[in-house]
Amino acid sequence: MSAGDLEKHDVLSCIQCGRCTAGCPVSIRTTFNIRGTINLNLRERKKWIQPQDIWSCTTCHTCASRCPKGVGIVDYIMGLRSYQVERGKIDPAARDALESILKHGNPWGRVREKRSDWIGENKVRILQEGESTEVLLFVGCTPAYDPKAQKSAQALSRILAIAGVDFAIMGNSETCCGNEVKRMGELGLFEMLVEDNTNLFSKYKFNKLVTISPHCYNTFKNEYPNLGDKVIHYTQFLVELSEKGKLKLSNDNEAKAIFHDPCFLGKQNLIYEEPRTLLKAVLKEELLEFDRNRERSQCCEGGGGRMWIEVDSDKPRTAEERVRDAHYYGAEILATSCPFCLLTLSDAVKTAGLEDKLQVKDICSIISPGEGEKDGQT
Amino acid sequence: MNSVVCIKRVPETAEATLKIDPANRKLEVDNLVFGINEADNYALEQALLLEEEFGGEVIVVSVGPPETDEIIRMALAKGAGRAIRISPENLSELDPYSIAKLIAHELEDEEYDLIFTGCQASDDGFSQVGVALAELLGIQHLSMAVKMETEEESATVNRELEGGLMAQYKLNFPAVITIQTGLNEPRYASILGIKRAGSKEIRVVEPGSWNEKMVELNKLSFPPPGKMAEIFQGSPAETAEKVCEVLKTKGLL
Repeated sequence: MSAGDLEKHDVLSCIQCGRCTAGCPVSIRTTFNIRGTINLNLRERKKWIQPQDIWSCTTCHTCASRCPKGVGIVDYIMGLRSYQVERGKIDPAARDALESILKHGNPWGRVREKRSDWIGENKVRILQEGESTEVLLFVGCTPAYDPKAQKSAQALSRILAIAGVDFAIMGNSETCCGNEVKRMGELGLFEMLVEDNTNLFSKYKFNKLVTISPHCYNTFKNEYPNLGDKVIHYTQFLVELSEKGKLKLSNDNEAKAIFHDPCFLGKQNLIYEEPRTLLKAVLKEELLEFDRNRERSQCCEGGGGRMWIEVDSDKPRTAEERVRDAHYYGAEILATSCPFCLLTLSDAVKTAGLEDKLQVKDICSIISPGEGEKDGQT
Repeated sequence: MNSVVCIKRVPETAEATLKIDPANRKLEVDNLVFGINEADNYALEQALLLEEEFGGEVIVVSVGPPETDEIIRMALAKGAGRAIRISPENLSELDPYSIAKLIAHELEDEEYDLIFTGCQASDDGFSQVGVALAELLGIQHLSMAVKMETEEESATVNRELEGGLMAQYKLNFPAVITIQTGLNEPRYASILGIKRAGSKEIRVVEPGSWNEKMVELNKLSFPPPGKMAEIFQGSPAETAEKVCEVLKTKGLL
């Protein structure tokens, strides 16, 4: 990495205090040490090695948000990764996810023609070119294809229909937002997706772009041109609907629930209250809280390409610690509002042997009145 | 060490809904996504690894329509030096022999130590181009390579046989080797790399209509639905056990 790159991310300001590594969720279970990487890079600019460790990073942003010198640590890691991406020698799972995005518009290797199969029996309008809608629902790749995350898309579309919202989706034309692509260091593909999606959005008229995933939210809000004001996470939008009286929430869910703050919603976009407002509105009992919550929330290891990239470690995944903590606090439902968290935590419930004791649910699946079922049983 | 790699642009058909155009005896491709044939991707990687180790040049050859440039540019982005695209008018009528003949013709003036192809194309599944090419060029070949140790002028190549047997051969260059998937780990072609590869040469050869084929496709059809499927009932643990039993009985576990 050149001196210019180091300056770009303020890496030269690093005082080697180590707060980054101390807060890093993966430094506990892998050899990744971001302070050490920066140190090596600063001392031996030409000879700096390409530590495979940088692929352990989940881009959760804990390091950057704790850095007293404001070093752009996550951008710096993306920069390091981009060097490896340019050389082509990257983790095969990351390669396959990126190639799938280029070919199919999603990282899951699934064909485009099945992108809106999640709709099933639900009534969801697919927007045609030139048409307008108040709310454009950006489903996202994981809620579109993953059977568990599909339930979030189905639940949210039922809620929006019940609230009488004029909403529509882009159907099979929808394409990956690129948030993880950028974080895996594939900056060329990210630029291409920004351009493609910007062109795609320009074919429709909408006032709000509601996302299910905080990852899509993050990149649309902060990294796309001329889109920021329209972008809103579904938890924010449902609170708006509730405040306007369009969405009636009743606190008849008797389960004990705890909320896991997704990194891309919480510490990266400071959305802490809305998920809690929704949960408090539907729970009979008080919402439980982790000790590590809000800006200290423990990353589930689903971000930054880690949905696909496995790391070497003999220690339990952070998601497994998280579900054990949830169980320790007495929760029956571990609520979150991110498809990646939903999947990593659901897997962790199985590996931790808590399947009979703890359910992981997206908030929209908790507040959605299922067809013919009572709240919370969707 | 100079290598030639033959690559093919094929449709991805695993999850796609396939339709046959009966009049033209081919797949309807409008909704299909194309990419490099999987085995060819491993063949390309093998050539690139040899270039990194021994120096020389990697030349990519493909018989296909202009859209083939998409996968050729990816190969150039990964490190191939230049490419030859052969685009006869009657592409859809070619058989493996005619394709091999087209490639052999273009390689007459090239200097190479090794020619790599994938062991099989995922669309027509012939597995013949590499072998036919070796015959036409009058050089040795080994098919279905799963492991390869290379020296300056020869290579030791493993071929996997039925029943888990491994056969090892030594062959001297020049030679054609057809590569199985899994031999290496193909690298990624970044978008910026693909853009930069735009300056590398793709020589386009247009031989007009090419009629040297030996076999002709009669028709393309889906196999009639069989009645061989058995659906296991029970809990996941019970059904998994039944599946394991079947796999054991069939010698697959």
